[in-house]
Amino acid sequence: MSRQRSMETILTSDFISIGELVRLTNCRYSTLKFYTEENMLPFEQAEEKLTRRYKREETVARILLIKKLKIDGLSIPQIKEILNKDK
Amino acid sequence: MTELKLAQNFSMIALNAQNSLHMTTVKKVALRCMAAAVILEAYLDSIFTQTEDKLILHNDILDQTNIMPYRKIILKPLLHKNDEAGGKLEWWLKKASMLSNSHLIKFEHTIANSLKQTDLLQEIPNLLGCDLYYNSSGVTIREYRSNVQEYTRIAENLRAELLEDGAVTDETICMIWLLRESGCMHDLFSQNELEKVAARMDQLYQRDSLAKAVFPIRIHRGIEIAIKGFLHMKKKIMKIPFASGVNFAFPVLERSQSVFIDTEAWFSNADKRLDDVRARLESNGHAFTVLQEGQIPLIKIDNIVYMAIPQAIYSRVPIHGVRLLPKRPI
Repeated sequence: MSRQRSMETILTSDFISIGELVRLTNCRYSTLKFYTEENMLPFEQAEEKLTRRYKREETVARILLIKKLKIDGLSIPQIKEILNKDK
Repeated sequence: MTELKLAQNFSMIALNAQNSLHMTTVKKVALRCMAAAVILEAYLDSIFTQTEDKLILHNDILDQTNIMPYRKIILKPLLHKNDEAGGKLEWWLKKASMLSNSHLIKFEHTIANSLKQTDLLQEIPNLLGCDLYYNSSGVTIREYRSNVQEYTRIAENLRAELLEDGAVTDETICMIWLLRESGCMHDLFSQNELEKVAARMDQLYQRDSLAKAVFPIRIHRGIEIAIKGFLHMKKKIMKIPFASGVNFAFPVLERSQSVFIDTEAWFSNADKRLDDVRARLESNGHAFTVLQEGQIPLIKIDNIVYMAIPQAIYSRVPIHGVRLLPKRPI
């Protein structure tokens, strides 16, 4: 049995799950899953079928950047290009 | 960002779009499960003392100053003035879900008010209240609307945990059980996702002790769920253009999708008809914009576009007016 982590705990954690990322960024799960599958959000996974863990600060900053670029009118391939340059 | 407890989270989903002034069958289904959510919340917070397979609750818990008011309303009648009460988790859940209507109403008001105070829930007018039959008989219809951002956060967090590989928290296990018992699964998951959720629940049942304890418990009443399913299906069918046409001729099939607003004068022209519609919508507190004027105006009411089609209905005397039909496809 494991309880849901409080927002306070999440905000001090180095790694967070996709569900916690949803709570932090107000993005839809399907959106974050799409970004993950398009390699726009790097993650760590100990083994297949285990929880994907995202670096909190880095990933939240990335999501905010993607949101901003989308508002600026950039398409997903263009955003991916910018993110790849930043790597 | 507000941190909500399990019962509040579930209430945000269960109360959304429910009639706030009258007790309907669908709302009763939601309230029964909300009451059960309070028990699960208390169970997760270790309020109960566990002895063998029994959960014991002591009366002094009600005197604690920091007890949530909605929790007190559910636990008090279950204790029945006794010093303590005990039973299995199933016994507690069933007892809570079988509380009387008056207790459920009191509970609804308490939890709704706590959510309203934090702007997470509001009461908005329902368009059906503008219908001739409701308006002329003085029936007001209002409904709950959950804060969109918070609703999305709760729903998407749940979807993320269930549809993604990896660990599932206790809150999510309880939520999915509550959604199943309240017949709300279809509100959050698509048909394809429901298959994945079913597989995930099977997996959880085999691996997780909480899921093993909770999933076999049934608190829903077949007849109420059947009524809820029928009403849901009826509303869904009326979204098909052909059915919408049939509903125009026979509005009794689904009155909420075919609202009739009477006009002051017989054979009034398009402008006067529109003025009467405006007046009725304003008097009921709706936000609306007229998108297009003309013989059949297009009006956006609470984010849904309606066609205002002139019509006359015949009872003892003919009544002229317009019928508001949702425009599909939007």
